[in-house]
Amino acid sequence: MHATIQKSIKEIVGYIKPGEKVFVVGCNNCAWKCHSGGEDETKNMARRLEKRGVEIAGYSTPGPQGMSLCKLDNTRKVFMEDYADQVKKADSFLVLACGQGIHTVIDATDGGMVHPGCDTIFGGETVSETQIDEFCSLCGECIVEYTGGLCPLTLCSKGLLNGPCGGAENGMCEVDTQRECGWILIYERLKKLGRLDLMLPYREPKNYAKWSRPRSLQVSPEEATFSSQDGEITISNQD
Amino acid sequence: MKLSTYFDNGEFVLTGEVGPIKGAIPRDRAVVPRCAREAESLYGRVHAINVTDNQSAVMRLGSMAACVGLKTRGHEPIYQLTCRDRNRIALQSDILTAYSLGMDNMLLLTGDHIRLGDHKTTKPVFDLDSVQLIKMAKGLQEGHDTVGNEIENPPDFTIGAVVNPSFVPLDLQLMKMKKKIDVGAEFFQTQAVYDDKIVDEFISKAEKFGKPVQLGVVLLKSSQMGKFMNKNVSGITVPQEWIDEIGSVDKLDRKKKAAEMMGRFIKKHKSKVQGIHIMPLGWTDIVPDILDQAEIKITGVAGQIHVKKGS
Repeated sequence: MHATIQKSIKEIVGYIKPGEKVFVVGCNNCAWKCHSGGEDETKNMARRLEKRGVEIAGYSTPGPQGMSLCKLDNTRKVFMEDYADQVKKADSFLVLACGQGIHTVIDATDGGMVHPGCDTIFGGETVSETQIDEFCSLCGECIVEYTGGLCPLTLCSKGLLNGPCGGAENGMCEVDTQRECGWILIYERLKKLGRLDLMLPYREPKNYAKWSRPRSLQVSPEEATFSSQDGEITISNQD
Repeated sequence: MKLSTYFDNGEFVLTGEVGPIKGAIPRDRAVVPRCAREAESLYGRVHAINVTDNQSAVMRLGSMAACVGLKTRGHEPIYQLTCRDRNRIALQSDILTAYSLGMDNMLLLTGDHIRLGDHKTTKPVFDLDSVQLIKMAKGLQEGHDTVGNEIENPPDFTIGAVVNPSFVPLDLQLMKMKKKIDVGAEFFQTQAVYDDKIVDEFISKAEKFGKPVQLGVVLLKSSQMGKFMNKNVSGITVPQEWIDEIGSVDKLDRKKKAAEMMGRFIKKHKSKVQGIHIMPLGWTDIVPDILDQAEIKITGVAGQIHVKKGS
């Protein structure tokens, strides 16, 4: 999931020109889990803006709970059919969702003016209803086979691939003493799994061409093609 | 001269350390930068002097320029190079440049994180880690870059690396030390150690690798510094007895006391290691006193030093 956090109301209000009619958009999937742009927060944002003198053209979290704003066909249908009149009246769209959702709104409104209502902070695991943590950096080249499923690129502050730096103290990271050293976590886990042998081989530098931006993915039931600066890689889903 | 020459000859290798100034080297050559003045006290007393690379992630004069400055003044610099601020193109280019400017020794390390320094919102690079950096340096020596392209006139220098004896679990740190050796590290300088037990445990486990180790020591200047390091400097623990002892003398006598304490510690452990790396934090003037107290005798001058461990 894409973790998001709302921008301050002061910053958001600062984006909006006098007389601008704003349509507030939320997301019923990730932003709902983050309480940054679910149904309640979207409705509430419309109210908070109105209280500050902003004219609201409408508000919506397209689709049922669990539906992502970034699913373009659904968002377009909702905007162009269910909310057609309000969308037409709107000068801009305040998006309470991740950056992908913001772009989806541009696509769904045929180039509408958008304002980001959230900062997109990371891709994370919903550990509990109140806690979302980052375990993957979306690098395009997963290496956790060698690290017991724990990503050193993400869990080590320096993203080191061949073991820890010398900075940890009492098991905690030198950068943030409230957080455990990622490499000690990996070491302890591999030790428990009886696979410390995986720690020993030299690990090559990352291929950052696979972490280029922007990347794209073409999918079908049979195969998927990943395009990055490293080229196109097609993988069969059926072999 | 390459430090590997001394190690190969079985000599006890002494190194000091200076940090480049926060600023530029003056065009007026009559004005001597502080790091060059500090190096003067080490002249003839150490084999080489580490020159730090934006140490603690605080932006300063480049290690390369300071190394060239020291070399011009007759010192033997060790060029420190970290992964924090450079991608693999810059790292390789800087190694070739450093060698081209006369550096015979390079200490290759990860580098302190940006968050510990004075430019906290900077993009941390860490394109490579220290093991990959060492392998890359070795590759350059063998005549190719990281993508396999041949290079002209491959450089020839001694590759140094760092290890932290205080790391818990130590076995994890030793795994990384072994990796560094496997890819080309020729000698190690340890992070600062003050604890006898830590020295002994580390040496007993690391000596099997058969690579020269210089015990790293940081001068303890005051009890406040000890408390500060325990609270703020990761990976280093100053035992309470060190803090109490340096705190037991008046401010005026601290340099003398610091030299006595460090000299005693080095004397106790020198037979277990192949050298000492002294990080004086500006108090380079007492390094000769420390070496005297440690009964490490030196004859000759820089470039032709011969060190005896004493009795």
